Amino acid sequence: MKNLFLAVLFGLAAFGFRGPGDVITVKGSDTMVILAQRWAELYMGKNSGITIQVTGGGSGIGISALINGTTEICNSSRPMKNSERDKLKQRFNSLGVEIKVAKDGLSIYVSESNTVKELTLAQIKDIYTGKITNWKQIGGPDKKIIVYGRENSSGTYVYFRDFVLQGEDFTSTMQSLPGTAAVVNAVSKDKFGVGFGGAAYAKGIHIMRVKKDASSQAFEPTAETIKSGSYPITRYLYLYTRTRPTGQIKEYIDWILSPEGQQVVQKVGYFPVK
Amino acid sequence: MKQTLGYLCIILLVFTIVVKGQEQEADTSATAMLEKLTEVKGQVEGMNETVLEMKSTLDALKKIKISGYIQSQFVNVNSDATVGGFSGGNFDKNYHNRFQVRRGRVKFLYDNDLTQYVIQLDAIPTGVTIKDAYITSREPWLRMFALTAGVFDRPFGFEIAYSSSSRETPERSRIFQTLFPGERDLGAKVEFSSLEGPLSFLNFKGGWFTGNGIANETDNAKDFIGRIGVSLPFTEENLAIDAGLSAYSGSVLRETGKKSYTLSSVTKAGADSTTKYIDRTYFGADLQVYYDVPVIGGFSLRGEFISGKQPGDASASTYHKVNTSSPTDIYLRNFVGYYVNYVQNLGLSNQFVLKYDVYDPNSDVSGDDINQNVAAKLGAADIKYTTLGVGLVHHWDANVKFTLYYESVKNETTKYVASLKEDIKDNVLTLRMQYKF
Repeated sequence: MKNLFLAVLFGLAAFGFRGPGDVITVKGSDTMVILAQRWAELYMGKNSGITIQVTGGGSGIGISALINGTTEICNSSRPMKNSERDKLKQRFNSLGVEIKVAKDGLSIYVSESNTVKELTLAQIKDIYTGKITNWKQIGGPDKKIIVYGRENSSGTYVYFRDFVLQGEDFTSTMQSLPGTAAVVNAVSKDKFGVGFGGAAYAKGIHIMRVKKDASSQAFEPTAETIKSGSYPITRYLYLYTRTRPTGQIKEYIDWILSPEGQQVVQKVGYFPVK
Repeated sequence: MKQTLGYLCIILLVFTIVVKGQEQEADTSATAMLEKLTEVKGQVEGMNETVLEMKSTLDALKKIKISGYIQSQFVNVNSDATVGGFSGGNFDKNYHNRFQVRRGRVKFLYDNDLTQYVIQLDAIPTGVTIKDAYITSREPWLRMFALTAGVFDRPFGFEIAYSSSSRETPERSRIFQTLFPGERDLGAKVEFSSLEGPLSFLNFKGGWFTGNGIANETDNAKDFIGRIGVSLPFTEENLAIDAGLSAYSGSVLRETGKKSYTLSSVTKAGADSTTKYIDRTYFGADLQVYYDVPVIGGFSLRGEFISGKQPGDASASTYHKVNTSSPTDIYLRNFVGYYVNYVQNLGLSNQFVLKYDVYDPNSDVSGDDINQNVAAKLGAADIKYTTLGVGLVHHWDANVKFTLYYESVKNETTKYVASLKEDIKDNVLTLRMQYKF
């Protein structure tokens, strides 16, 4: 019986080892999908033997894919949760590897015609938790605030809830949209709408200046204010891998962190980490 | 001249009619377009409402989560004797291999953020049983404390809570199968855990239980079971260390007219016919280390040690169950047991597994002490077992995995028990296929 066991063991082992392919799969954050696509296009142009497949879906979806083994790299606009690390630990005996690849100023979008130009963190929290419902409460016209946000699989949603709302729930009147582009589109067409998302998407809308409290100075999310930490809603954008990256995946990530890769970050509208 | 004027008048009239007609036509088409636009707008608004309604329905449905797994396996033992009790159930003396559906689980969870409803069933060819049935409620302020009531895993050690669908070995260690058969108990517990913040490394779960598994209560005494744990992630090094201390403080009822024997002497067992509740006390320590080895993959090294007093029966060291129609004596033993389990990921799809597992149901006696003197009341239930297991797990995809596992089981021998004069032939080979969703 021991011989049978050994034969099957080696058979399974031999069958189980599959050589690494030339396709790198990247999945996750919608905030990062344009950035990831630009990286992939440029890198594939320089390395003809490699295919990089980029898909969005949200940070939560990307992390699930990493845990399920269906993607090699996960894009995430929020740090991985302890519960997610536990799942990785359970299946891969690894905590996952976190790589900070860009910085983002999480922006508050309003229509270009909106007369309110700056908000405090507390006011943003009150708008998104439903305590402020009319623009006149914050110096605007007597009009109802139409609140747009992201779905709960989004890393931007989680980061905004944890950091800006300090863990409180979003107002039930918030209209959840499937991507940052959809939020920008909705706000650009809604004079009394408000939304949030990555700085790189800010086309056809106005970005609010944000201040920590009523007595602070208000800042726009720019390279300087994000680098200096003056803009109050600053976050990192991450790549995650299951285990320490090796081979082609390591080379790709090294390139992302190189001056060339970080230039792409700036071109897309985010801010380099180096 | 008159004729020319007449022609001019006719032309003007025709022109006026044509222009008027065109204007009317334009008016008509603009009105029609406006009507059409209003109609389309109405349709869009209607669709919007429908989408919003569907979204609210979908949001409600998203709270219902169904998961499950089936484990089908082929098991072979190297004997026709009645063995294999700790490898998915005893074999009959007439055969030594079998196909089996070991587990067929389906779990329904209604997750309303702060409250959860859970029912888990095990549906296998021999019947359908309830594995879990509980409610959990988390306080809304700190979200750190939760209360759970019903039938659920006993909060002791690591291996109980480690799902059978994730576990790399086919079964739990012999000591866990003996001390906590079925893993679940009926009761209530409080839990402390902080997802983020300075206390996120600490967790606690503890509560009071009937001590009878999923069976009904049989006495007034409740058993306390609890574990305090730490979880230390060193993300830069890709190293994690988790550890915990557990305690079980309970008792079993000594039925009227029956005795409790303490089996700690090789000459004579101590008898007690006055104490109503006999101690059932365990202490445990567990440690899990995870580390990502570059190129090869992550490994985990897990171990647990448990020691204590177990009020069992004459023929088995599982806890004594009250049976009012046919009461029996209680046999109290000091036990000790531990396991060490090494799992090495080999790439993304394979895992190598090695496990060493020891259970000594009576640590006060050994080998030939057993059954040397009839008055000591020692027997097969006092025999120590060690199991060395080796195996390979192959993850076919996100849902399917195969497990090949071989267990070499060794027992203590005693010249005073005929069936235990030499090692029992009870090594087990398991080939399992699992589907999980």
